[in-house]
Amino acid sequence: MGETDGLVNLDGGRPHPAAPELLRQLRRGEIGRRDFLRAASWLGVSGASAAAAVGLSACAPVQAPISKDTVRFVCAVQQMTDPALTTWIEASNLFRNCLEFLVEVDADNICRPFLAKSWRPSEDLKTWDFELRDGVRWSNGDAFTTQDVAFNINRWIAPNSKSVNRTAFAALTGIEVTGPLTFRLHLNRPVCSLPEQLYAFTCPMLHRDFERKGADWPKNPIGTGPFSLTDFQVGRQASFRRRDGYWGAPPTLAQIDYIDLGTDISTHVAALAAGQVDILYRVSVAELDLVHRLPQARLIRQQAAQTVVMRMQHDQKPYDDLRVRRAVQLAADNAQMLRLAYRGYGVVGENHHVAPFQPDYAALPAFKRDVAQARHLLAEAGHADGVELKLTLGNTQGRFEQDTAQVLQQNLAEAGIRLKLNVLPASEFWSVWDKTPFGLTYWAHRPLGVMALDLAYRSTSSWNESRFNEPKFDAGLDTAMGLIDPVARSKAMAGLEQILQDQAVMVQPYWAEKFTAVSPRVRNYRAHPSDYFRMDRVWLADA
Amino acid sequence: MRETLTDLARRAGGLALTMLVVSFLVFLTLELNVEGVAVKVLGQFSTPDQRHAWLSENGYLDPFAIRYLRWLADFVRGHWGTSTYYHEDILKLILPRLGASAILAGGALLVMIPMSLILGVAAGAKEGSALDRSISLVSIVTTSIPEFATAVFLSAVFVIGLGWLPGVSTMAAGLSLRELILPVSVLALASTGYIARMTRASMAEVMAQPYIRMARLKGASPARIILGHALRNALITPVTVIMLQIPWILSGVMVVEVFFAYRGFGTLLYQASLNADVYLVEACAMVSVLAVVVSQTIADLIYVRLDPRLAPGGGRHS
Repeated sequence: MGETDGLVNLDGGRPHPAAPELLRQLRRGEIGRRDFLRAASWLGVSGASAAAAVGLSACAPVQAPISKDTVRFVCAVQQMTDPALTTWIEASNLFRNCLEFLVEVDADNICRPFLAKSWRPSEDLKTWDFELRDGVRWSNGDAFTTQDVAFNINRWIAPNSKSVNRTAFAALTGIEVTGPLTFRLHLNRPVCSLPEQLYAFTCPMLHRDFERKGADWPKNPIGTGPFSLTDFQVGRQASFRRRDGYWGAPPTLAQIDYIDLGTDISTHVAALAAGQVDILYRVSVAELDLVHRLPQARLIRQQAAQTVVMRMQHDQKPYDDLRVRRAVQLAADNAQMLRLAYRGYGVVGENHHVAPFQPDYAALPAFKRDVAQARHLLAEAGHADGVELKLTLGNTQGRFEQDTAQVLQQNLAEAGIRLKLNVLPASEFWSVWDKTPFGLTYWAHRPLGVMALDLAYRSTSSWNESRFNEPKFDAGLDTAMGLIDPVARSKAMAGLEQILQDQAVMVQPYWAEKFTAVSPRVRNYRAHPSDYFRMDRVWLADA
Repeated sequence: MRETLTDLARRAGGLALTMLVVSFLVFLTLELNVEGVAVKVLGQFSTPDQRHAWLSENGYLDPFAIRYLRWLADFVRGHWGTSTYYHEDILKLILPRLGASAILAGGALLVMIPMSLILGVAAGAKEGSALDRSISLVSIVTTSIPEFATAVFLSAVFVIGLGWLPGVSTMAAGLSLRELILPVSVLALASTGYIARMTRASMAEVMAQPYIRMARLKGASPARIILGHALRNALITPVTVIMLQIPWILSGVMVVEVFFAYRGFGTLLYQASLNADVYLVEACAMVSVLAVVVSQTIADLIYVRLDPRLAPGGGRHS
C-alpha cells in the first residue's frame, strides 16, 4: 500500500506506476496540485483518492431543485446532421444535452468518468482499457454497450472519415471489444492525454444504428443524455425537454430553449436587458461596459487559452527570410496590442502559442521588443528602405482582431515596415485562412499547449497554416505527447517553444479572456474554457 | 388600348432582360471560382481531394456557360436547390420570410405615408411659418440619421433605459404588435422626413400657382383651397417618391431585421452571406432584384395615371 500512497484506479485496482511518482513530485514541490490532479486523471486514478492524497475533500455535488423552469439561451442554431462532423462548438452545445461522452473534462481541465466509469493505460501508455458504466440506456430503450463505442470509434478513424477526429486520433490504430462493457484502445505511440481527447466536441457517443437510420441526428435524435430534442429549426430555435428514465440524476431544468438571434451581440444584450432571454453564449470586449451597467445582467469571466496568431508562411517571399520574420516579431509590441485592442483583459503572449496557464507551459527568457534590431535585420536582408507587407484577416471573432492588426501596423511602422491590412468578410477569410502568406487567425482554447502545437505546426498537419516544416520539432512533439511526468514534459515543451520563437513563425500577441452575461436569476451556470457547457445542473432562482 | 398593350409588353421585356443580366452577374460573382464554391459547401476544413470529388460529382468541372444555362433553367422552373446552411428547400425557406418582411415593410408604410403627407401638407400650406420651419428641421434631422443609428438610439432609450419595449422581435410566440413597434418606428423615421420634405416642396409650389391665388381672391376658405384645389396636384410628386422609396425601405428592412433579430427576408439574406450559403444568396439576390424591378414598374404606371401627359403617345393630345 505504501508505494501507491493511497491512490487507486477508478476500477478499484492498483494505479498506473507513474501515478505514485507524480505524487512524490508534488510532495517535493516540483509540480503543482492541479498538475497532479490532471495528470492523475488521465491515468485513470480515481478523483476521490487523488483528492484525498493531496488533502482535498472531494466536492459534494450541488444540491439543486428539480424545477418546472425553462431557460432561454441565446446561441446560434446550426445544422448538426452528423455530430462527429461538426465544425462549430455552438452546435455541440445543443447536442450535448442529449449526447454524452466517454469522459468529461470539467472547467478545471480534470478528466472525470462519464459513460466510461474507469480507464487504465498500460505502462507504456499505448494500450488503454476502458470499462463502461452499467445500466446506461439510450432514449429508445436500447442498452448502451461497447458495440456503440466500437461503431463510433471505427467511424472516426476510418480511412474515408471526414471527421477532424481522424487527425486528432492519428495515433489510434483500433478498438478491441473485450466484453459487453469493456474495450481496449491500441495506439502506435504513447499518448498520455487520450481520455481528455475523448471529450472533444466531435466525440459524442452516437447510437450504433446512426448510419443505418439515415445518418441525420436531428431527424432521429437518439441519445443517452438527460434531455430530448423536441424542436429544431436551423437559424431560428431549438428546444430540449427533460427526459424520463435518464440513468443519472434527473436534470434541474424542465426545458431549454436555444434562440438564434443572429451575430450582432448588442442585440443579444438588448434581449437580456428586456428579460426576453436568460443566458448569452458570449459577449465581446466591446459590450463589457454596457453589461457592467445593466442591472439585468451578471457578467461571467473565464480565462482561456484562446488567442490570435499572426503567422508567416515559410515558403513565401519575403517571409522565407528568417531575418524578415524576426524583424516583424521584434517590432511588434504584444503588451500594447493587449492593452489597446483587448483592453487588457488577458495575458501577454510570447510568440510560441503556449499559454502560461496551460499545464505544460515552460517559461522561456523574457521576449524583448527591439525596434533597432528589427531595422538592422531588415537592412541585412536587403530592405534598408523598409519593406511593404500585407496582413490578411477576417474579424472572425469580432472587431478586436482588426484593432489588434492596427496596433501592429503602428508598431511595425516604427521599424520601417509598411503594413497593409487586407480585411475580408469572415466567410471569405475562411476560404483563404491557410493560404495567405501573412494572416491573422483565431485559435480556440486547447487544454494543453501541445495539442495546439500538434495541430498548427506539425509539418504533416492539415491545419499547418504557416507551412512550418522542422523535423526536430515534429520529433519533439512525439516525445512531449508521450510524457506523463509534468516536469519532463515541461522541459520538452521548452524546446518546442524555443524553436517556434527562434524561427519567428508568428506574432502571438495575447491570450484573450472570455466573457458572457446571464440573468441574475441563473444559478450554477459555469463558464468552460472550451465553451463546453453542461446544462443539467443549472436552475433559475425566483425573481 | 393597343398602345397600352405594347407598352406593357415592352415593360415586361425590359424587366426580363434586367433579370437576365442580373442573374448572369450573380452567377458570375458567386460561381466563377469553383474551388470557392466547394469550400463554401464542404466547409473550410475539407481536403483538396474531397473538394475535387464533390466538384466532379456535381458537374462543376463543366464549362462556365453550360453551368450558367443549367442553373438558369433550374431557377426558372422553381428548382432553387437546398440551402447548405439551413438544410431546407430554398423556395420553402424564402416564402414565409418574404411574408414576414412584407408585414414589416407594410407596417412601416402604414405609419409613414399618412404621417409624411400630413406633415408635408401642413408645412407647405404656409411656407416660411413657424410650423413649416419646425417640421422641416425635424424632417432633416430624422432623414440624415441612418437606420442602424436610430435602432441603437431607440433601443438604448426604450429597451435598456426605460424598459418599456422588448429588445428583440423574434415573434417566437406568433405575431406580436409590441415587438413590431421598434422596428417599424426605425423604418418609418428614416423615410418619413424625406417624403414630408418632398410633399412640402410640391405643396409650396402648387400654393404659388395662379389658380390658387385666384381661389383665394374669390374668398375660398383655406381648408377648401388646400383640400379642394391644391392637394391632388401636390400629391403627384410624393406618391412617386413613395414608390421610389421602396428599394430604400427594402435595404432598411435588412438593417432593422438584423438588429432586432426579426426573422424576415433581410436576416435570411444576411445569414446566407455570412455563412457563404451560395445557392441561398443567389436565390435571395434574384428575389430582391425582382422586388425592386416590379415595384419600379408599378411606380411608372402609377405616375402615368396621375399625370396623363406622361402616357405613351400622351404628348400628341396635349
